[in-house]
Amino acid sequence: MPARGTVSFEGVSLDYRLYHDRTVSLMETFLNLFNRRTRVELFRALDDVTFRVQPGQSVGIVGPNGAGKSTTLKLLAGIYRPTSGVVESVGRKASLLDLGVGFHPELTGAENVFLNGALLGLDRQRMRELLPSIAEFSELERFMDIPVKYFSSGMFMRLGFSLATSVDPDVLLIDEVLAVGDASFQQKCYDRIMGFQGTGRTIIFVSHDMEAVSRLCERVIWLNDGRVVMDGGPDEVIGSYVSQTSRPASTGTVDRSEWGTREVRFESVEVRNESGVPSRRFRPGQPIVVDADIVSSLRGTTDGIVFGFSLHRPDGQTVLGTNNLELNRPLLKVDDRLKATLSIDLQIAEPGEYLMGLALTDPARNRDYHWLDYRFRITLLGERKERPVVLRQAKWECRE
Amino acid sequence: MLRRLSRLLLLMQSLVSKELKVRYKRSVLGFFWFLLKPLFSMVVYTIVFTQIIRFGGEIRHFSLFLLTGLLPWNFFSGSLSASTKSLLDNHRLIRSVYFPRVSLPMANVAANAVNLLLSLIVLETALIAFGHTPGFSLLVLPVAMLMFILMTSGICMMLSVWNIYYRDVSQLMDVLLLAWFYASPVIYPLGRGIVPEGLESVLRLNPLSGLMEIFHSILHQGAWPEPWCWASLIVWSVVLFFLGIAVFRRAEPAVVKEL
Repeated sequence: MPARGTVSFEGVSLDYRLYHDRTVSLMETFLNLFNRRTRVELFRALDDVTFRVQPGQSVGIVGPNGAGKSTTLKLLAGIYRPTSGVVESVGRKASLLDLGVGFHPELTGAENVFLNGALLGLDRQRMRELLPSIAEFSELERFMDIPVKYFSSGMFMRLGFSLATSVDPDVLLIDEVLAVGDASFQQKCYDRIMGFQGTGRTIIFVSHDMEAVSRLCERVIWLNDGRVVMDGGPDEVIGSYVSQTSRPASTGTVDRSEWGTREVRFESVEVRNESGVPSRRFRPGQPIVVDADIVSSLRGTTDGIVFGFSLHRPDGQTVLGTNNLELNRPLLKVDDRLKATLSIDLQIAEPGEYLMGLALTDPARNRDYHWLDYRFRITLLGERKERPVVLRQAKWECRE
Repeated sequence: MLRRLSRLLLLMQSLVSKELKVRYKRSVLGFFWFLLKPLFSMVVYTIVFTQIIRFGGEIRHFSLFLLTGLLPWNFFSGSLSASTKSLLDNHRLIRSVYFPRVSLPMANVAANAVNLLLSLIVLETALIAFGHTPGFSLLVLPVAMLMFILMTSGICMMLSVWNIYYRDVSQLMDVLLLAWFYASPVIYPLGRGIVPEGLESVLRLNPLSGLMEIFHSILHQGAWPEPWCWASLIVWSVVLFFLGIAVFRRAEPAVVKEL
C-alpha cells in the first residue's frame, strides 16, 4: 500500500459518449431499433496519461480548455472511473470542485456541515469536533443555526471552502475556485492552501492563472488534447506553455482598441519617468510612471475600481498583466475626478519594444469601464536575459 | 468491505434524517402527515367501495382492512417516485464529490420505511382497539417488512439509473403506479372469490401480491399467511434486490458521466 497522499495515473484513458442530439427519449430509441443510425460518438478526453505524484507535492495542471484538466481531477476524486488504466489516490480527498454543492437550502449551516461530513465519510462525533473551527474560518459563527437558503452566495461559498478544507485531507483537489468571497477572504483561502504545503499533503491545482500556478506549485503538468505535453518545473513548463499558446497571434499588427462602458474613464494619461519627464524609454531600475486623470460620470462615489496594466510584445503576446486587486493594493475610489499615479518597477530580462495597455474595471460588479489596449509604445533598455520582464513592485498613489 | 458498509450506513442515516427534516419543515401538522395521508385515502376508498361500488361490505371493518394495504402501498409508491429522480436531482453533487451513490435511492426507501414503521405502530393500536387481536404471526411481520424493503430498494436502484438514460421513466412511473395499484391486492383481498379465478392466478404473479396478502392476514385477520405468499415474497425480493444491485453497479460509472 503506497503512502497516504500518493497520487498516480498509470496509462489512464477516459472516453465520454457524446450525443449529437441530446433529445434522447424512449420513442427515438424505439424508432432507432428499426433504422440504426448511431448518433453517439466516443470522445477521448484523456489518452494514455501517466504520472506519479509523491505525498506532499504540489502539482499544477495547465492546458487549454478541453485539454482534460477537470476530467483528471474528477478521476482523482473518484467521481469517474477510467475507461482503461489505473488511477490511484490514497487517503482522504478534499475536492474543491464545486463549493457548497451538497448543501440543502432548508437545512441550517451546522446541519449541512454534518450532512457533508457524512458524504465525505466522517461521523457526527468527528464533525462535532470540527464544527467550531469550520464556523470560525468561514466567519459564520453567528449564522450556523440559520437555514443556508438565507445565506448570500459569498457566505455559501465561504462555508463550502471552509468545510472542504477542514476535514484534514491527504489530497487536495482544486479547480480554479479560489475566487471565494471578497478580497480578504480570498487571501485567507489562499493562505490556507499555502499552509497545506510542507505538511505532507498533496495538492493538485488546475488553473488558467499561470501566476497562481507558479506561486503554488513546485511541479506543473501541461495537458493538451488529453495527453501530457510536458511535465516538469513550473518555470520551464509554464514558459513553454505560454509561448506556445500565444504564438498563433504572432503575425500582423495588433489593434490599438479602446472600449468599455466609460462610466469611469481615463481622461488623459501621461507616461513619464520618475523625475517627471515624459518618456517612452526606460533603463533597468527606472520605474515607468503613469499619470492618469480619471473621471466618473456615475452619481456619487464609485469605489472598488481596479486599475490594471499589461505589457505585450509588438505582436500582441502578453508578457505581463496585473492590477491593484491582484497585488492586494488599495482599490480606487472616485467621486467625479481623480488623479492616480501608477509606478511600475520592472526587472528587464528581455529588452526591446513593448506595448502597454491600461484598464479600469470593477470585477465585483462585472464592469469593464475603460480599456486602452496596446496603447502606449514603450522601449525597455538593458541586457538580454531569459525572462522578458519580471515585476518587482507596482504602486498606486491617489490624490483627489 | 466492512468499512465501506459502515460508511454507507452513516451516509444513509444522515440522508434519511435530512429527508425527514426537510419533508416536514414549515408545515403546521408536520410529522402527522405520514398518518393523515393514508387516513384521507382510507376515507375516500371506504366511501367508494362501501357506498358506491358495494364489495367492501363483506369485509369486517373494511376501513381498517384498507389501511393494512394502503400503508405498505404508500411506502412502495412513495419510494419509487422519489428514488426515480434521486440521481438526476443530485447531479451536481454526484459530479463534484465521490460518495457511494447507491445511498441516494436507498435513502429515499429508508425514509419511507421509517414512515411505514411509525404508521404501522399506530395502525396496530387501532386494530387492537377495534378487536383485531394480533396472533403470533405478528412476530414474523418484521421479516416480511425487511424483505419488502429489499424488494423496493432493488426496484428503486434500477429506476434511478434508467431515468438517467430515459427521462420517460419518471413520467411512465406515474401511470404505471396507478395500474400497479389496482393490479395488487391492496384494497381488495385475494382468495375470497371477489376476483375471478382466472384473473386471480395471474394477479398472484405480481411481486406485490404475496406481500399485500401477508400484511392483510397478519394485521387484519391475525392469521398465518398462506405459503404461496411467502414463496412469492422471498423469490421476488431476492431476485429484485440482487438484480437492482447488479444493474446499478454496472451502470454507475457510465451514468456519472452521462448526468
